[in-house]
Amino acid sequence: MTAAAPGPKTNMGQPVPRYDAAAKVTGRATYASDMPLDNPAYAFLVTSAIAKGRIDRFDLDDARRVRGVIEIVTHENAPKLKESKLFSNGGYAGTTIQPLKSAEIAHDGQIIAVVVAESYEAAREAANRVKVSYSAAAPSATFDSPGTTTAAAKGQSSQFKEDPKVGDFAKAFDAAEVKLVASYETPTQHHNPMELFTTSCAWMGDNLVIYEGSQYVYGLKNGVAEQLGIDADKVRVVNPYVGGGFGSRGSMTPRTAIIAAIAKHVNRPIKLVPTRDQGFTITTHRAETRHEIKLGASRDGKLVALRHEGAEVSSRSDAYCVGGTKTTTRLYACPNVDSLVSIVRADRNTPGFMRSPPEVPYLFALESALDELAVKLNMDPVELRRINDATRDPIDGKPYTSRSLMACFDEAAKAFGWSQRSPQSKSMSDGDWLIGYGCAATCYPTLMAPSAARVRLHRDGRTRVEIAGHEIGTGAYTVIAQTAAERLGVPLEKVAVFMGDSDLPPAPVAGGSNSTASTCSAVMMVCDQIRQRLLKAVMPSDSLADKAKETVGISPAPSTQAGKGDRPLEIEKAFDALGVGVVEEYGEWKPDGAPMDSFRAMHNGQVRLVGGHQMKDQIAYAFGAEFVEVRINRFTHEIRCPRLVGAFAAGRIMNPRTARSQLMGGLIWGMSSALLEATEIDERNARYVNDNLADYLVPVNADVPGVEVIMLSEQDDHINPVGAKGLGELGNVGTNAAICNAIYHATGQRIRKLPVRLENIEL
Amino acid sequence: MPDKPGSRSSGFDRRAFMAGAAGSALIPIAARAASEDARAPAAQDPSLPVEVTLNVNGKDKRLSIDARTTVLDALREHLKLTGSKKGCDHGQCGACSVLIDDRRVLSCLTLALAAEGQEITTIEGLATDDHLHPMQQAFIDNDAFQCGYCTPGQIMSAIACVKEGHAGSEADIREYMSGNICRCAAYPNIVAAVKQAAPEIMKG
Repeated sequence: MTAAAPGPKTNMGQPVPRYDAAAKVTGRATYASDMPLDNPAYAFLVTSAIAKGRIDRFDLDDARRVRGVIEIVTHENAPKLKESKLFSNGGYAGTTIQPLKSAEIAHDGQIIAVVVAESYEAAREAANRVKVSYSAAAPSATFDSPGTTTAAAKGQSSQFKEDPKVGDFAKAFDAAEVKLVASYETPTQHHNPMELFTTSCAWMGDNLVIYEGSQYVYGLKNGVAEQLGIDADKVRVVNPYVGGGFGSRGSMTPRTAIIAAIAKHVNRPIKLVPTRDQGFTITTHRAETRHEIKLGASRDGKLVALRHEGAEVSSRSDAYCVGGTKTTTRLYACPNVDSLVSIVRADRNTPGFMRSPPEVPYLFALESALDELAVKLNMDPVELRRINDATRDPIDGKPYTSRSLMACFDEAAKAFGWSQRSPQSKSMSDGDWLIGYGCAATCYPTLMAPSAARVRLHRDGRTRVEIAGHEIGTGAYTVIAQTAAERLGVPLEKVAVFMGDSDLPPAPVAGGSNSTASTCSAVMMVCDQIRQRLLKAVMPSDSLADKAKETVGISPAPSTQAGKGDRPLEIEKAFDALGVGVVEEYGEWKPDGAPMDSFRAMHNGQVRLVGGHQMKDQIAYAFGAEFVEVRINRFTHEIRCPRLVGAFAAGRIMNPRTARSQLMGGLIWGMSSALLEATEIDERNARYVNDNLADYLVPVNADVPGVEVIMLSEQDDHINPVGAKGLGELGNVGTNAAICNAIYHATGQRIRKLPVRLENIEL
Repeated sequence: MPDKPGSRSSGFDRRAFMAGAAGSALIPIAARAASEDARAPAAQDPSLPVEVTLNVNGKDKRLSIDARTTVLDALREHLKLTGSKKGCDHGQCGACSVLIDDRRVLSCLTLALAAEGQEITTIEGLATDDHLHPMQQAFIDNDAFQCGYCTPGQIMSAIACVKEGHAGSEADIREYMSGNICRCAAYPNIVAAVKQAAPEIMKG
């Protein structure tokens, strides 16, 4: 076993290499813009240079003179599109600000023209020759900008139903022996997946094929159909591989339908490859947030009062918010809790999901505040969390389905060497370097959504699994193949998986870390249908057939043990009894508590996520603990992070190799969020300044320290048939606070605003 | 790295060309005019197609392209070799890395015309007879990717990193692999992969 492929513990699958590994190392993996098109025309976007106001006039003469220009589309001649509601309001769109609709400008970098030409080079040149006259108004950029409006999220955002509260916070806080009040701030961030936000559209008669990296092919298919006013069955979205998502490709962006409409208009396939800087404004981002935390505790560290107030920036048109108080008010046992989330409207593009959308900003605040409280109490921060560990959701009183938070703390502390930490800040150093140790809790809700799947089994064991899931780097192909192999008892190498195509049976959005639980539960159910048919053929008794479901669990060992305790199913004998060469089954799975309209919504590209705190009688979260060492140069104030250690428990680990990679990537994302990433805003112009990969800092290999990922065995039979909790968004949640807590330990300086850069260190 | 004269077929010396064309905005045109003076004089309109022969993965490929076409777009849009990826088109991310005369080069910042007469190796040119290159195998073994989009560039860069002698230590590998961004952050696994493949590659 290499470090990359840790051996499985109890309730873990095999660490087999990725299903798509060979395709990815040979360049054969085809991403959206790799798809061949017949005689394509190339599109290039022109985006707004102002954030608020209107377009007075275009001067296109110069652009039209460029050889090879086919068409220039502006609001004056654009095909009309129908509106789409926001994803979180039951629609498909990541923003309701639609391009080329009118002369009005709602945000900087809004799409205002599309140039179509014979070559990429000509389209780019012509786009640069488009002259635009604007009447500009003064935009409101962000918090504290004149002209913004602020209102409670409750009542204006359908995704935010209520501010969690319990007990009497004011009274309890007033009477608390130890109090803490602290404010925190997180910046705008952009996903920046490596694959650009490309779109290719090709019509064949009335049928449209869209090649676009998407985390939700059914959503995109239905959304584009809605905007074009055509039957969704006429639209197919294809993307067998997606070059990273992180939330940026979960909802429909304004570019797709307009490119489809223009392709129809010019009667040519169109390929759009937007630039990296255009990606900053034509998709979504993580909004900047502010927080105030109030904690009241007894002298022995027991929380008696907790209040979390958060504010988030959104666009004028859309009340998007992440509202992480749903998690921070439930993480620790506390009898008196209050919270409030507000939305600040500015002249910006609409924000959206970015890896652990609510948890990253909101847990940064809470987990930093707990560390501050531990200092006030002169208590080890791990022990403070142990004292306040919860077995039930303090808001609704429901028990956690499983909760290994403190086991994670203990495992990670041991691996990290937490006992070597001297408790006082500024007490550890190595030559010119001040050393700090810090830790924080991490968590992520366990979510599931309805999913369908089709499985075909051949007599010789060859198996084909079809599901419109998404391979965004998570290992989806791999764990789905493993699930089918184990459930059917066929060798893994005989399983072929087809995903990323909206002509396949619907799967939910690859978001909210629900994919593994949802898609594998569906595949498992359909494999059981096949087993039942085969069993019936050889043992024509209902009770035996029903037994298939009971006895074939996903076993910790490979497929040979499936059906243990039962006679193994002899596939060839069963096929002969049935007298067929192929058995195929289709099925639709939905999690407990899914609403009545779940399956209809699933086919219409609308997600019905359940789980987390919204389960009927229980609450389901995955947990972890993250420990970091920081080193700060006492002269240059350079901050290095040589060690990141995380221990995580997330129910069944389907594949320790792919799970470890996701958690490792998550820890590095967390480090990046704490120390590097921020989209800088020019507040005069409400414009992103560092809209490229050199100025928007993301880690490179030299930035990345030793990373240790520990996965704990955890069995949870209350969440979904495969027993898995999503972990793709678990790794990057606690790291922000852990690093700031370590910086405090190293320097005695509490930094409450991310990211922390060397200029923020005062020694 | 030593410059290697690139005058196999086109008859111009790359070193002389670089010296002569320094500071000129018309580098590619000058290159073509110098090398193939039998054909039309340098085009005035850059969008008029120019003829270029690129040697890609050991095969000569004749193209008629816009003079501003980069090696990356020539590979992807004209030769249908889509393994090399566009991640920024600005030389900031490394996803487009290819080998040109065994040196790692950002193909998005290299004009196709400037690569005439040189040997371009892309990710598609590494595996032979169903045998993966040791670096490809090492990337699989060490799970050195997730979404896979940066992977072709990482692998091309990693091979050059080893051949340059920059894979002697983990710290060296980290430093010399820092021109290739992996947003999924598979970095520790990439380091492990380079370490695994290095001895085999050096053995040749």
